[in-house]
Amino acid sequence: MAPEVKLSHTAAMILQAVNAGYVYGFSVMEMTGLPSGTVYPAMRRLERDELIRSQWEQQSIADTEQRPPRKYYKLTRTGKVTLESSRKRYPLLAKLIPSEQEERV
Amino acid sequence: MTLRPALLFHLLCLGVLRSASLLVPAHQRAEWWMEWRSELWHVRQSCTPEQGISWAAEREVAAFCFGAFQDALCLRAHFGQRRIPHATTTGSATQCLLLLASMVALGFVSALLLPGVSAILHQPRYRDAQNLMLIHDAHYSAESVPTISADQFRSWKKRRQEIFDGFAFYQVRKESVSSASHSQTSLSIAHASSNLFGLLGQPMWFASTDATTHSVLPRLILSDAAWKKEFGGDPHISGRLVQVGSNTAVVSGVVPEGYWRLPGKVDAWLLQPDAELASDGTGFVVAHLTLSTIHARWGASWHMSAPKPDGSVDDFSCVSLTERTRGPGDIFLFTIFLAALALPATTSLPLGEYRLPSRRLSWSTRLRRWTFLASKLALLLPIVYLVSLDLAHLRAAIDPISSEYIQLVSSFSICLFGLRWALRDQRQRCPVCLRKLTNPARVGQPSRSFLAWNGTELICIGGHGLLHVPEMPTSWFNTQRWLYLDPSWDVLFAESGLAAASYF
Repeated sequence: MAPEVKLSHTAAMILQAVNAGYVYGFSVMEMTGLPSGTVYPAMRRLERDELIRSQWEQQSIADTEQRPPRKYYKLTRTGKVTLESSRKRYPLLAKLIPSEQEERV
Repeated sequence: MTLRPALLFHLLCLGVLRSASLLVPAHQRAEWWMEWRSELWHVRQSCTPEQGISWAAEREVAAFCFGAFQDALCLRAHFGQRRIPHATTTGSATQCLLLLASMVALGFVSALLLPGVSAILHQPRYRDAQNLMLIHDAHYSAESVPTISADQFRSWKKRRQEIFDGFAFYQVRKESVSSASHSQTSLSIAHASSNLFGLLGQPMWFASTDATTHSVLPRLILSDAAWKKEFGGDPHISGRLVQVGSNTAVVSGVVPEGYWRLPGKVDAWLLQPDAELASDGTGFVVAHLTLSTIHARWGASWHMSAPKPDGSVDDFSCVSLTERTRGPGDIFLFTIFLAALALPATTSLPLGEYRLPSRRLSWSTRLRRWTFLASKLALLLPIVYLVSLDLAHLRAAIDPISSEYIQLVSSFSICLFGLRWALRDQRQRCPVCLRKLTNPARVGQPSRSFLAWNGTELICIGGHGLLHVPEMPTSWFNTQRWLYLDPSWDVLFAESGLAAASYF
């Protein structure tokens, strides 16, 4: 069994934001209130640790909306497990950034 | 939207991102550039108004762009061939003071290695510089232009004087100089009256004390640079005969480097009787003011009317040599004073609100905080002095007046920005452990009408407290506020992993 990755509160907050549907770097910044110099390096490290993965959106979508294509992030399976354990460590995390399911409830 | 300013800001932001992209490993640069450029587009769309320019929005966009450097450094650290040394300010107070001390040491070593700095620090002073006046024609604004003829000087010297008790004259010309052991060379020779150095009170090396040998010949005083370059620094130079143009002269001494502060670059001085000074051309007159309380009230610069050789009266300006003989320490103290005056106009002075918690801090903790600030300021002063001297005397060929201006400007700038940095650094540290606060987080609801966020919060990773910095000062919250945390918060900071060493 792989050793559990212990995240800092800020890293957990970013992971929660990505899980909640804020899949772009700037939207994570807006949601968490963290600056770009914190968010983007953190997301690089989360990707390095395979907790999230990045993907470029299709050019056709960007062309339709007349904007440049963006890179978006999604949680991996390992990332979801790590997020669950982080929620136990930081009980307020879910309330700070409610996920889509929690909002519906 | 006004196109030109918006386009300019956008280009500046792209420039910042492009600079940051240079730090990214080459194989990842293209994708990184594409990502950040795309995000910049969306940030602009989200933050900036459609019409007009919003400075707050542009600041936010700029702050977004500057974060690219940290992202680039992160990529380089993890995926690059080599690590870049720490580019950010050190965390602990000890590291900060060590960094400042190393800068002092570096400035000191540079000062030792630069010959100009050594000369200026050890230069001898003129005797009674404040009563030595440089006289020039009032029709010329610059006293560095020669305006007085030798005839004018001789006529003044003959007349009965009430204001001055001594006159000296010199005129700079290019002459060829040769001696039995050295080939001919062209030097700037100041043909001067024989009392010039006596009036200035200037000490000389290797001064000849033998009054009988070659006493009828004009005396030649060499500058330190000419003595080393043309005569090989010969310690037995005194008494040697040299040919200066059509004159035969005897070398009588060497003037220490940095002592000549009068107008004109001079390699050597040929001291001649007043009657032998050439009437053609113009030169400079230095006069010693008679000591008097009335004269002392005239100040450093004043005008006078004096007769000319043809009997007419003309206006002349008298400028004290105090300005030209000011030492580097005087300039340094003056700039410190100016910077202290200008500091409140450039930054706020209060360090913030630090309301004491229910459990009072020990006096040693409070004392340590103020001692740290005092230490930073104390280390800043020698840095300012040494670095400004190094910059002012980086090149040996630079003239003294330009060096003073360079020292003045650099000393003021470094001191002002250094003081600002010291205050800002103090505000960004925990008052208990003096470490830099981390994890800045924007708080409050974003407002698109005014500023984006209400404030920023930073924490001490030791769990000592939180710092809230308001985005815009208001009547109820006009400065940053520190919130001490009691021990019940320790659980959040108890584990080593919580310090987020691997992520931040």
